[in-house]
This record gives sequence, structure tokens and C-alpha cells, in this order.
Amino acid sequence: MESDDMQDFAAEARRFLDAHVAKAPDRTAVTWGEGDDSMAYFSSLPPDEEREFVQRAREWQRIRYENGFGWITGPVEYGGRGLTPVHDLLYDAVESEYDVADTGVLSVIGLGMIGPTILAHAQPHIKDRWLPAMYRGDAIACQLFSEPGAGSDLASVTTRAVREGEDWVLNGQKVWTSVAQHSQIGLALTRTNPDAPKHRGITAFLVPMDTPGVEVRPLRQMTGGADFNEVFLTDVRIPDDHRLGEVDGGWTVALTTLMNERATVGSEGVGPVAAALSPDHLSALMRATWTWDDRALRARLAELLVDVLATEHLNARALRKLRGGIAPGPEMSVSKLMYGQNLTRAAHFVSDVLGPRIIADTGQWGTYAWTELLLATPALRILGGTEEIMKNILAERVLGLPKEPATPAAKEVRS
Amino acid sequence: MTADESELRELRASVREFLEAKSPEEAVRKLMESEPRFDPAVWSQAADQLRLPGLAIPEEYGGDGFGLVEVGVVLEEMGRTLFCAPFFATVLLAAQALLASGDGDACARLLPGIAAGRTTATLAVAEDHGSWDPAMVSARAVLDGDGGWTVRGRKCFVLDGTTADLILVVARTVAGPTLFAVERDATGLAAEPMQTLDATRAMARLTLDAVPATLVGTQGAGGRIMAKVLDIASVGLAAEQAGGARRCLEASADYARVRHQFGRPIGSFQAVKHKCADMLVQVELAEAASREAARLADEDSPDFPVAAAVAHACCSRAYMLAAMETIQVHGGIGFTWEHPAHLYFRRAKSSQLLFGGPAVYHERLLDRLGI
Repeated sequence: MESDDMQDFAAEARRFLDAHVAKAPDRTAVTWGEGDDSMAYFSSLPPDEEREFVQRAREWQRIRYENGFGWITGPVEYGGRGLTPVHDLLYDAVESEYDVADTGVLSVIGLGMIGPTILAHAQPHIKDRWLPAMYRGDAIACQLFSEPGAGSDLASVTTRAVREGEDWVLNGQKVWTSVAQHSQIGLALTRTNPDAPKHRGITAFLVPMDTPGVEVRPLRQMTGGADFNEVFLTDVRIPDDHRLGEVDGGWTVALTTLMNERATVGSEGVGPVAAALSPDHLSALMRATWTWDDRALRARLAELLVDVLATEHLNARALRKLRGGIAPGPEMSVSKLMYGQNLTRAAHFVSDVLGPRIIADTGQWGTYAWTELLLATPALRILGGTEEIMKNILAERVLGLPKEPATPAAKEVRS
Repeated sequence: MTADESELRELRASVREFLEAKSPEEAVRKLMESEPRFDPAVWSQAADQLRLPGLAIPEEYGGDGFGLVEVGVVLEEMGRTLFCAPFFATVLLAAQALLASGDGDACARLLPGIAAGRTTATLAVAEDHGSWDPAMVSARAVLDGDGGWTVRGRKCFVLDGTTADLILVVARTVAGPTLFAVERDATGLAAEPMQTLDATRAMARLTLDAVPATLVGTQGAGGRIMAKVLDIASVGLAAEQAGGARRCLEASADYARVRHQFGRPIGSFQAVKHKCADMLVQVELAEAASREAARLADEDSPDFPVAAAVAHACCSRAYMLAAMETIQVHGGIGFTWEHPAHLYFRRAKSSQLLFGGPAVYHERLLDRLGI
């Protein structure tokens, strides 16, 4: 079922990648006691290493862009390639076989969600100014959406924007803002009409992050690292041409962003945590800890591996669809959900194998290192939409179940 | 031969159309309380119109030469409707045992009848303890002095054991577990139906009292043959389970969309919505695991044995969850005899445990992974 077009495209991607990078090493095989035993899901790098990490991401994005793989779905007039989302997903799947720099800092939010929003809603000179810069790796973008009082219920934002002549003045606080510390621009949702129903009083602005009054403060998370930030907006003055969409029409803009949350097939099971889902690695751990013949642990290992391997089959089938030029269906969301659940179960299974060795560091290779993954697992059930929101989406969009009716309180606000 | 995507869709559509016409719920309910527990006329039509028994039998033995991928599509559809027929025992157990034996004479003699739908067949391995491990077999075969064999012993959980024309029996010789062929009308063979949790799948207890039998393959090859047959049969079973689980999910989602309580469809309550989403996740995984295992079988991939173990475990769990949650979503009505939910619950539990259950297939998976 391989379509010729897709086969040619995959071959072209392979030629490009072969010329620039090595194949990814196999992180699932293990020689116990050798090599890096890091199990970090989130980076918690010292500042200078963090800067280098971001620099490597920009560099690789630039090389991609210059070779026609930086903005596969983008319109040609803004520097894109003009191909389909299926090409994009197929490229990601091919690239996952290679040892490339992690470009998540640019791509997950900026290129995956904010780029398409700018394309759909910004004025032409704003598109010219920012789109090629973003897709070339020069500009990183963040999403100034969530607030202390508005997480999943984004329509409840209270950051105010008030018109003053040709400008708008923004005041408020954003939170959970990934990559804000590296960003040149942010897409802000603000309240412009407190009297309108909550979805209808919101306006979206593109905020250059070096505008006076924008302050980014790192937010330390339970792993100890700081991947998120709080962003304080104090009398931030933004010209009206940086507005996206209509005044009070920002909800439409926000939906564009949310709809573009990128599918993640092909990028799963890569990185250092691949070891957590590897039969070889987990069995080596059981040997090293003399838990090899514990029947209860063996049964749990088997149950875990059934899910891990079935999820791999799901991904393999999605990839085969992509190569045939067919966009995968619900398997992508299922795969994302399972990936978080599998890692969580792996971390807890390993905790039981390790016993006390995970509550204090004995210095033994490959043991206490698992705390890094263990502490990251709660986030896996929250980031990119909580498990509950993901399940609602599956139930409503795939199974066609009705939405939850508005509560009386919400009706009052709207009427 | 391998069918492409559009041919698989056509196969699915024609099998579904046939089963919807021939195996509606009323027909299933009638058959599960009758003897035999299938309709010979419908079985003949499945053979003559759709050529189902011969679908995956090599062309040299009178079949159409397709593989497990195509049979998987058929079994998903049969699993949806709880089709009562000797398909699984004949095609996934007996025919596969003959093929795995590598005995060209036996295949040439026995497979054409199976392929044409004239012969139904089964495989008798488990005894009173229910294990499909050939090392646990205690039935014995001895030479009868004229160069033939006779088999003595008891077999249990034999699918379609009271009706199959041909019974392949695993019995022990001095060389170890060995496969034999026994005819339905052989002297010394007695079969009695077992009462079954899942009444749509007939099982029997066989008593073999010096029954004349024909050696299939070589003496002592029973272990190797059974390893291969169990992999293929469990992938076939997985497809059936995935089909049943999908049907449960569809029934639950349909009901949750229309059934109103507290002034709104129950599907709008998050608790119900999440149950359905959990079922969807399991069903998607189950389909991927069983279809991928079938593909690997047809490609003769070294990854097949692991994939077969994954498919069986994954689909067993998915179907059980889907069948249980279907009753929950339907509430009290789902717990009645009249509602079909219990038929799926029974099939799901029975299939999960048919080849030994979770403890057995988990060790089987670890063994295949070298753990």
C-alpha cells in the first residue's frame, strides 16, 4: 500500500538525513553497569548547557529549513514546502531513526501550533516578519494561554488588554509557559470585554518577548528542574497590528492553535527513557537485582510488555498508513495516551524491583537514576491535555458521544 | 497470496453481509441450545458461496492459498456476531496442525475435504486439567501389530468434539507427544458434549478406547507442531476477540448516545464517556496487536512468536474489559438474559482462558522474549 509519491518523499528525506547525521544508536540494548544511566524525561540542565542545547536545536532546524524539510506543510510564499500533513508526519517518522538534535523547544509549540495560527490570522507584514524566522530556527515562540485561574478552561482568562490609541496595554499573569525563557515571541490570550460571554470577550495578540513590562520567571517543578515559567505582563504596550483576528474574536484564534497540536507518532520511544520500555533493559535490571524468578514481578513485567509491544504495533501500523499516503485516525491519540501510561507503569514496576534502592542512592549504576523518570510520570498524565481531556476528545470525536451540557453557572455568564 | 487493502475491505464486507443475514442474534440463541451447535446448511453456504474453509489452505491442497491476514478479517467478523460454526476448530486448529506436521501425504489426503467444506475437523490436546502443553498429555498410542496405531485415553475441551468428522489427537508414544488422525466413526471413540460457560462454542469430552489412528508427521513431533499451531490459533483467536470487543464498544457507544437519564444522554456524563474511551483504547490496541501478528505470520518473520503472544494477551484483556464495561454502560438491562451482553461476556471469558489463561500466556511471552 506504499504510494509512489510517499515512497519518493521518504527516500528524499533519507538521502538528506544520511548526508547530515548518523543513525540513532540503539538505546534499548543494555550492558549492565556501562554507559550513561540517566532516566531523565525532563531536562534539568545547568544554564550554560541549556543555552548550548537550544543552540543545537536552532542549528538543526536551520539545516532542515535550508534543505526543504523545515516547514513541510507551509505555503511556498512564506518559505514552506507546500506539502500535506501526511508528508510532515512521514518525515518525522523517518527522522526518528536518526540521531538528530532535540528540536522540541522550537517545534512542539512554536512551529506546531503558533506558526499555523499566525498563518491563519496575522496581517501579511507580520507573517513576513515572523514565519520564515520561526521556521528557520531564528525565533522561538511560546503560548501565553494558561493562567493561575484558567488551565484546561482557557476561556476563563483574565489578563486584561485595554485600547490606548493605536496600541493595546496588557496587564496580567500567565503560567505553565513552556520555553518562555527562550522565546522571542508569545501568543497571548487577553480579556478585552469583561461584559461579553466569556468565549466572546477574548482577543489574541502577538507579543514580542523583549517588550518592556514582560517578565519571565522560572517555575520549579517536582522533578527539581524548571521547564515552565510564570510570565508577568505589566503595562505591556502592543501595537494594534500585532492583534490576531478580530477584537473580542480571540477564541477562534485560540482554537486554531489548539487544533494544531501536533500528532506525535514516530517520536515515541526515543531518547534516554526508551530503556524504560525495553524488554532487554528491564530483564537486565531484574537479573542485577536478583528478582529474576519472582513470580509476581514476572507477571507484572509480562503485563507491562504486552502494552509496550502492542503500542509499538499501533505505531507501526500508523506509520504504514502514512507511507501509503493515508492520515492515521484515532491510533495517534491512543498511542500518546498509552505512551504516558506505559512509562508510568514501567517506573512503578521498576520501583518495586528496586525496593529501598529507589528511596536512597546506594551509588549502584542504573538504580537510583530511575527516580528521574519516577518523578516525571505525574506530568505525563497532564501535559498536552490531561488524561481526562484526552479521553473526552476520544469519546466525543471518535465515538460521537455528546458533549457535557453547560452548567447553570456557565449559562448565566453567557446570557 | 496476499490481498491488498481494497480486497480485504471487500472480503470484510461480503463476510459481514453474509453473517448479518445468516447469524443474527435469534439464530445464535437458537443454535446455542441445540445439537449440533451449528447449522450445517449455513456452514455449506459459507463454504460454497464464500469459500471460507479453504481461504488459507494452500492451493496444492485445494484451497485459495491466502494467509492469516485474510483469515483474521473473517474471524473478526465471526467474533462480532458470535457465529456458531466449526470454522475455528477446523481451519485454525486441525488444518494448521496438518500443515505444521509437514506430512505431505496426510495433507494431500485430508486437507482438500476441509478446504471444500465437506470435512469438519478438530484438534484434541487438553485433558482433564485443561492444559494445551503437549508435555502434559497422558493419552497413549501404541502399535497394534499390523503396522497401525491405536490410541487410548481421555480428552477434554475438544472444540466441536461431538460433530467433527476428523479428530487430530495428540498422544504419547515412546518418542514423546505425537500427532494422530482419528475418524469420527472409528470404533472405541465416544464423545459427550460438555456444559460450557460460552454456549456458542461447543466443547466435548472424548474417550478413546484403543481407537484405530493414523500417524501424522513423525513420532515425537507433537511438541514442535503444537508450538506452531498454538501461535497461529492464538492469533486467530485474537482476531475473533478483537472483533467481539469492537462490537461491544459500538453497542455501548450507540446506547450511550441515545439513552437518557437525569435529562441528558448518559454518554454526556464524563464517567460514562471515559469508560467508552477506555474501551476504545483497548480495542485499538487489540486490533493493532492481532493484525500486526497476522501480518508477521504471513511474512514468516522471526518476530512472529513474540507478536503472537502479545496478540493473545492483549486481545484477551481488551475483550474482557469491553464485555464487562458493556454491561456496566447498559446498566440493569445489560444484566438480563434477553440482552446479548452476557453472550459476549461469556465468549470473552471463555476465550481468555481457552489456551490456559493469563498465567500461561504471560510466561509464554517472557519465554519468547528470552526473559
